[in-house]
Amino acid sequence: MNESGSGDSLYRKEPKIYPRQVSGRFARLRVIAVWVLLGLFYLLPWLDVSGKQSVLFDLPARKFYIFGLTLFPQDFVYLALLLITAGLSLFFFTALAGRLWCGYACPQTVWTEVFIWIERLIEGDRAKRMKLDASPWNAEKILRKVAKQFVWVVFAAWTGFTFVGFFTPIRELGGHVVNLALGPWETFWIIFYSLATYGNAGFLREQVCKYMCPYARFQSAMFDKDTLVISYDPDRGEPRGGRRKSVDRAEAGLGDCINCTLCVQVCPTGIDIRDGLQYECIACAACIDVCDQVMDKMEYPRGLIRYTTEHSLKHKTGHVVRPRIIVYGLLLLILVSGTLWSMTNRIPLRADLIRDRNALYRELPGGIVENVYTLKITNMDDRPHHYEMKVLNNDAVVIDLARPIDLSAEENTGISVRLRIPRAEGQGVQNLDIELQSSDDPSIRRVIKAKALMPQTTGN
Amino acid sequence: MTDTNDERHEVPGRWSQRKRDIGIIVWIAFLAACVGTFVIFAVLDPDALNDAWVLPWEMGRKLAYSLGFLFLFMVGLFASALTAFMIRSGPQSGHSEGRGRRPPPQIRSPEEDNPDLDLEDLR
Repeated sequence: MNESGSGDSLYRKEPKIYPRQVSGRFARLRVIAVWVLLGLFYLLPWLDVSGKQSVLFDLPARKFYIFGLTLFPQDFVYLALLLITAGLSLFFFTALAGRLWCGYACPQTVWTEVFIWIERLIEGDRAKRMKLDASPWNAEKILRKVAKQFVWVVFAAWTGFTFVGFFTPIRELGGHVVNLALGPWETFWIIFYSLATYGNAGFLREQVCKYMCPYARFQSAMFDKDTLVISYDPDRGEPRGGRRKSVDRAEAGLGDCINCTLCVQVCPTGIDIRDGLQYECIACAACIDVCDQVMDKMEYPRGLIRYTTEHSLKHKTGHVVRPRIIVYGLLLLILVSGTLWSMTNRIPLRADLIRDRNALYRELPGGIVENVYTLKITNMDDRPHHYEMKVLNNDAVVIDLARPIDLSAEENTGISVRLRIPRAEGQGVQNLDIELQSSDDPSIRRVIKAKALMPQTTGN
Repeated sequence: MTDTNDERHEVPGRWSQRKRDIGIIVWIAFLAACVGTFVIFAVLDPDALNDAWVLPWEMGRKLAYSLGFLFLFMVGLFASALTAFMIRSGPQSGHSEGRGRRPPPQIRSPEEDNPDLDLEDLR
């Protein structure tokens, strides 16, 4: 492809974007979001809850620790609920106010913000950076560029380390790093995630949003005419044009837009919001912040660029709170509260009685029939328990356990179980309700179903 | 998928772009699922997992092979369809309102025509 492209305008090289720094309401909101989200990311693995790392995804042991709660593979349903909640939230917030996710919460935005902050600290503001990039490689340029790259790499490496710290206890991992005793997979994932951070936040930046992110392409399906989006008000702004502050707009035939193009200069994706809603817009609201300042300066009312809906821009009535929002919101509320309720009220015991596949039953002397099972049992509690086993619907059944049901905290085990039933109790399939109950906490109790086979009596 | 300018170049007897897209998506997903199923079940016997399933079930080999293939096929379809969609939409179709390719927006010095705008104050 012709990238230099002076001849062919179809393939014009996209200019490198140097977004101008902006301050204001939404910029402050984003800084708060960055501090909160990155603060959580970098600090959580170092915090302990009831003696365990607050968030730890222990993949080799197949256990997830989340704020004192231990999740097992059998809790797969929570993962499904989490995904549904995430999807529904995306619909809810996009229908409500567009790409809030992109502007404030997307890791791409959040880490890019930090990398840009480092860049600004070392290379200076927009004008200085443009000058530096255009200048020949002198000592200052080399020094600044090397310093920036060094800080970027260190920050990226720390990010990679923290990420792996969610999967390996982070204090142990820190010890491994200090003693140069990292395992091969720890090393690989730290480097992998560091490179990903560096590449995405330092190098690719808004290109990810423009070319690679599917959400940007799907957003139109979630928008409607009552969605709050960042828009330029053309009725108020046009015709645009430069002017002195003292000029009477009505007399000069001008709208409120003074065509300073600052909204374009602050845009991290380099678009002109005055052309209307574009899929490149990541809803960072930098144009709102800068335009409000310009309006203040000109002593015009704020909000030439603002969060508004298509309906209200066209002077039609519309409601931000509408059936779609209410339905999404209710579903989300039910889902989240239901999940939380079931997580806090779950019984920390799981059990299954699985028939021995090799034999149907065995007849013992004295008219006794024996069925053999394996009890698969998981103690999901964070302390040991002893469990009692009892057949609820048949008092004649004798339970013979290979060993007592004693499980240490979070243990998962199999115990051989023999059920001995007098032959007089019946023929064919017997359905048994079997109760397992912790001897020290009666609320930890499960009833499981089991089938026992009995011989059919023939003829006489 | 968008069928933008391809409709105009339609050749009798040739599939439309949409039809070709769907054909490619399904076929490639199928191929990938075949390769995936072959490799996975060459090294892994689903029957050996009977005691290791997270869900309390015992499935035969045939069911496991079939479910494995269908799962990989679904994943392949999802990835293929999303890829096709990402390639067909996006920058080359230009403005979100469909007005062709835009040039990059013009930038000018804010103070140029606005002598009362002092940018130093905007910090």
